[in-house]
Amino acid sequence: MHTEEPVEAPERAPAGTVPPRRTGALARVKNYGIVIAFILLCILIGAICQYRVARGEWPENAFVTIDNFLLILYQVSINGILAVGMTMVIVSGGIDLSVGSVLAFAGMLAASCATGSAAATPWSGTYPVAVAVFLALLGGAACGALNGWIIARFRIQAFIATLGMLLAARGFTMSLTGGNPISSLSPQLRWFGVGTVWRVPVPIVLFLAVFAMAWVVLNRTVFGRYVYAVGGNEKSARTSGIRTKWVKLGVYTISGLLAGLAGIVLTAKTGSAQTNAGSSYELDAIAAAVIGGSSLSGGVGTLLGTLFGALIIGVMNNGLDILGVESFYQLIVKGALIVGAVIADSSRARADV
Amino acid sequence: MNQPQCFGCAFAALAASALLLAAPPKRVKIAVLMYGNKAEFVQLMQRYGRQHPAVTSNLAELTFYDGRYDASVQNDQAQLAINSKYDAIIVNPMDFEANVEVVRKARRAHVPVVVTNARLHTEEMNAEVGSDDVLGGYLEARNVLQKSGCKGNVVIIEGPKGGSGEIQRGQGNMKAISECPAGSVKILERKTANWSRAEALDVMQNWLSRHRGKIDGIIAQNDEMALGAIEAIKSAGLNVHSFHIAGIDGVTDALNAVKQGEMTSILQDAKAQMQASIDIAMRAVEGPGYKPLSPIWKQYANSLQWNDGQSKHYAIPWTVVTRDNADELLQGRK
Repeated sequence: MHTEEPVEAPERAPAGTVPPRRTGALARVKNYGIVIAFILLCILIGAICQYRVARGEWPENAFVTIDNFLLILYQVSINGILAVGMTMVIVSGGIDLSVGSVLAFAGMLAASCATGSAAATPWSGTYPVAVAVFLALLGGAACGALNGWIIARFRIQAFIATLGMLLAARGFTMSLTGGNPISSLSPQLRWFGVGTVWRVPVPIVLFLAVFAMAWVVLNRTVFGRYVYAVGGNEKSARTSGIRTKWVKLGVYTISGLLAGLAGIVLTAKTGSAQTNAGSSYELDAIAAAVIGGSSLSGGVGTLLGTLFGALIIGVMNNGLDILGVESFYQLIVKGALIVGAVIADSSRARADV
Repeated sequence: MNQPQCFGCAFAALAASALLLAAPPKRVKIAVLMYGNKAEFVQLMQRYGRQHPAVTSNLAELTFYDGRYDASVQNDQAQLAINSKYDAIIVNPMDFEANVEVVRKARRAHVPVVVTNARLHTEEMNAEVGSDDVLGGYLEARNVLQKSGCKGNVVIIEGPKGGSGEIQRGQGNMKAISECPAGSVKILERKTANWSRAEALDVMQNWLSRHRGKIDGIIAQNDEMALGAIEAIKSAGLNVHSFHIAGIDGVTDALNAVKQGEMTSILQDAKAQMQASIDIAMRAVEGPGYKPLSPIWKQYANSLQWNDGQSKHYAIPWTVVTRDNADELLQGRK
């Protein structure tokens, strides 16, 4: 999966160009290992369903339908949006534990500008939905930028800095309304969660759009190359003239911005902004990136991997429910999957050497 | 003596006498230890606490502590309240076992302690004020089953596994189901959604995908999860009115959904729980002369006895919220 050697990219390639890629058949198979794992998982769950149908236990195969695959994408979209930002952060050698709290904060900001109940916050009311969206994205990006600034300026470990934000953003959220939820949201805001574009649910459209844009940023821009370089070896990145502080500020701001977007989608989806929204969502986002092959030590990771990492988690959640697996066992299976993915990845990395 | 001076004297005398007259005997300081402060229900309890007549008339003063969903934090806060010489403690505990320590500490320091909303595994407290979760679970399940004529398929969306809410409300759910003729009601699925609307939404979507057209009743062990199920039904393009849905707690969004005819909610009376607890704490501090001030004792005159604040257990009645009383309850939330 990790055919590119972005650590050396700045030296090899002048800024603005993309380094040459190794595109051997073997590399390609490794690149798409995660895709193969995903397809195998789908086939496995689909086959079990089909077996039950064939034995006459179930009337239909509920897993293998277009509706159900759209549903999986719908359920994955929030975690997917967060995981895109998380991948950039992890590739840069950091971690962002604050995305769940920032999501709640942004969702509350959006709701406060798009609600019929005016009592929620001093300013709340029904403004044009663009105001709500703008404020939420701004709030998310500001939290992320603060993370990045603290990490870059004071050289604090990302784990600690974003742990601080995990607590603080939850506090901001509660202080906005004194802990109360905000409901009765305007239909314009709810569109972001329950609307459709050509019969495709809006959250899916947003997720795929975010994914596409982030892919371009990470793979086709100087900034993207720098993110890999900083994560691969910060010191050599700095000596080769990369302004690492700005790169860090950039990735955390993007992560915060995307957490803000996810907050809008979650609030719109559930019809209510709640102070405990998004609790522990950071763990699912990290899991998606790690299953997708990102290394927590930085420099390694692809968005395509993360996309399928998120899809694998989504298929597990959906498929195990459809198979009627007890929730206790679902947790065990998910835990085993995460660790198994990393083991598979690290043994492959050793084989590379 | 010239005019302004005289004016000043009179004013000073007036102010002094006003101060003397108005000086309260001594305000009763009550520490209220809440398990957390993120849920709407906790917010409601705090709000109704501040509206208690004893608080608004300055007889009592409440200080709320946020237990941050951690039993040991609450135990520490109890010690802090005792050290700060609070006259009484009201605790809404996080954990059935671990927070028994709050009562033990208060007893040792001779500080009256009232347990509210949830239960503690001890009988040493002055009183326990709450609503019977088994009964709540029974009422919601019975409501769903009555509408479906005691037949068909139901799903149960559960609270966090192993918590007292999930266990007791689950017992009530099963009691109502067992009252139907054997085999007439089938439980298609049961799974926890951890009291969360977002989680219940995903779980319900998966169930709708798996059991297309077969689910008749949805028993959610709290309102938030019932609301998540409603969102799932809407997002699947189905008609909410073709399902029988019930939840517990009576949060504001649920009251609105009841008004739309989308669900039934079993209201847990935050006001009665909090205000009864304050009256009982006041009685323990002030002695036999104290008369309860909260209007809830009149409201529940038939089902809830004051008993001079001496009962061990006060069971606050549940209210089944239907389209008839939803509006009235919503007015009270404004």
